[in-house]
Amino acid sequence: MKKTVSVNIKGISFTIEEDAYELLQDYLDRLTVTLGNQNGSKEILEDIELRIAELFNIRLKESKTVIELIDVEEILANLGNPEDFVDMEDDDEDSEDKKIFEEAKKGSSEKRLFRDQDNAVIAGVCSGIANYFAMDVVIIRIIFFVIFFFAGFGVPLYIILWIAVPKAKNTIDRLRMRGRPITVENVRTEVENAADKIKTESRGIAKKFRDKDYKSKASRGARIFTSIIGVGLMLFGLLHLIIFLVVILGGFEMIPIQSEHGFISITELGELVLSNPADIQWTWIGGMMIVMSFILFFFLLGSILLFRLRSRWSKLSLLGLFIIGLVGFFMCLSVGMRTTRDIAMDGEIVDKVGKVHSTELIVLPQLESLTTDKTYRIKSNGQFGLMALEGDRIKEYGIQFEFVPSTDSLFHIDQSRSARAHSHARAIAKSENINHQVSLVGDSLLVDTEYSFPKKDKLRDQDILIVIQIPEGGRVKFKDQIVYLGDNYEEGNSDYSDYYESGYLRGDGTYRHREWHRNHHHRIENIEYEIDMMEDEIEETIEEIF
Amino acid sequence: MKLENTKAQLRKGILELCILSILKEKEAYPSEIIDKLKEAKLIVVEGTLYPLLTRLKNGELLTYRWEESPSGPPRKYYSLTKMGTAFLEELSLTWDELNTAVTKITKNNSK
Repeated sequence: MKKTVSVNIKGISFTIEEDAYELLQDYLDRLTVTLGNQNGSKEILEDIELRIAELFNIRLKESKTVIELIDVEEILANLGNPEDFVDMEDDDEDSEDKKIFEEAKKGSSEKRLFRDQDNAVIAGVCSGIANYFAMDVVIIRIIFFVIFFFAGFGVPLYIILWIAVPKAKNTIDRLRMRGRPITVENVRTEVENAADKIKTESRGIAKKFRDKDYKSKASRGARIFTSIIGVGLMLFGLLHLIIFLVVILGGFEMIPIQSEHGFISITELGELVLSNPADIQWTWIGGMMIVMSFILFFFLLGSILLFRLRSRWSKLSLLGLFIIGLVGFFMCLSVGMRTTRDIAMDGEIVDKVGKVHSTELIVLPQLESLTTDKTYRIKSNGQFGLMALEGDRIKEYGIQFEFVPSTDSLFHIDQSRSARAHSHARAIAKSENINHQVSLVGDSLLVDTEYSFPKKDKLRDQDILIVIQIPEGGRVKFKDQIVYLGDNYEEGNSDYSDYYESGYLRGDGTYRHREWHRNHHHRIENIEYEIDMMEDEIEETIEEIF
Repeated sequence: MKLENTKAQLRKGILELCILSILKEKEAYPSEIIDKLKEAKLIVVEGTLYPLLTRLKNGELLTYRWEESPSGPPRKYYSLTKMGTAFLEELSLTWDELNTAVTKITKNNSK
């Protein structure tokens, strides 16, 4: 009993035994190589195929329906070896063709990356790479395994290579894959190897039943290796499934942003950050798609390796899962991009609080008790601040301060409210919505440590900055700290007009002064001075020479 | 120096002449040409014919047309062009000259 395949030559269909087909295909491969790029090589090949079809047709008339190996052997013997009759083509007048032909004969040894499905575990990517670099395939597989577990991009990398790298379809591809020159001799040995392989494989099936020692140690080793990887992948998937279920059953409260003063759930944060309800749905669905396809992907990949499922179905499922994950990723990405656009522009409103003639300005923080139901600790502007939800308003704690030299002998106090949005106008409108109390009573500045804005404005980097202009010799007194502008300012140099210092008033009323912010003005001046010096020196030197 | 090579070289030149002569009589498709050449024991390896036909066609000595076959694949019927006919006449002349010359020399040698 033999397997048959169906071939079509110039519109006529033939049923041909599989081994006969292999023989024929390899003959045509050899012919293609031998003909090379010479003029009309396609036509010659077509003519010879026609001849073969004709001979098949004659043989089929003799009350048989299938072309057998012996038929093909006889036909090919009559046609002769390609290298025998193509060699006769050598002719002086075709010197151009001859050159190309000679080159093809010498062999283009250009190496190419192919997937080697003959030695594949999944799609032959690893064995293809191993062929390309002439390395042991086990090493490549271990490398892939390691980058998959420790860097996580092994799987997408494998799939990209699976899609991008063509499989080695014929003898010529197989030679290119190994970087062997495509010469007539090499094609022949490759074909012979392939023929041997077919023989041993067909024999092997029968032998497998008879002989239990059929499997060599090497193949058993490879089998165990892939099984271990398979189990590992399934465990990896299972682990993530458990994590996912815990998160789902925990109602997303399992992932706290900061838990010191209560925690915020992902859904709540989503509502506070994302611009519209549809975005929340998108993130949800996209996130589910990513997580589920991720988990199922590893389960499936593991079972493919463990149970040696090599059907097209399982591969398509893997690809499908990957695509679902990718779609989910892009859904989340689109939400992310929309949100990013919504914080693209900033807006600021500056109001004058007042001015006072004094040597000392006393800052009195107006505290509010932090006992609201939902108080969260969040990180904003590089500072840990507190956040609370009260009805339809979001409350944040912590005020920024900035100190600059005064242009006159008075303290000037300004309040700046800022927010971000997709447009400058919208950002200013959002800044307008920020509510923060600050007032000047005598030489005391009463500052609320919290500010609030509507929940519908979302968290858009809303911030309060109090700018205090300090006259020469003046100081600002917080409960636990005195601020005055440093030595640089005391030099009284008018170039220090851009100079400022800053600080942060926490929600609990404590104040922390920041490092000095030096204006680069000073450094530029230094460089200019140095340049002047150098110019002088050069002039002096020139004078000395003359 | 291989005998096979020399034989092949000799045959090759003659083969062109023979193919053109066969086609002068009437148009034919490759299998017919092969049959005739085999009959005359001029060709051993069938494959030899095809590169030659393509080259003659590319040299505009031959032209072809497709014809459906009653059974089997379509056939490519080759025929001589005007240039091919002229070429064949020249070649025949040369062949006659060569034939006389060769006969003369080989006879002299065998004496």
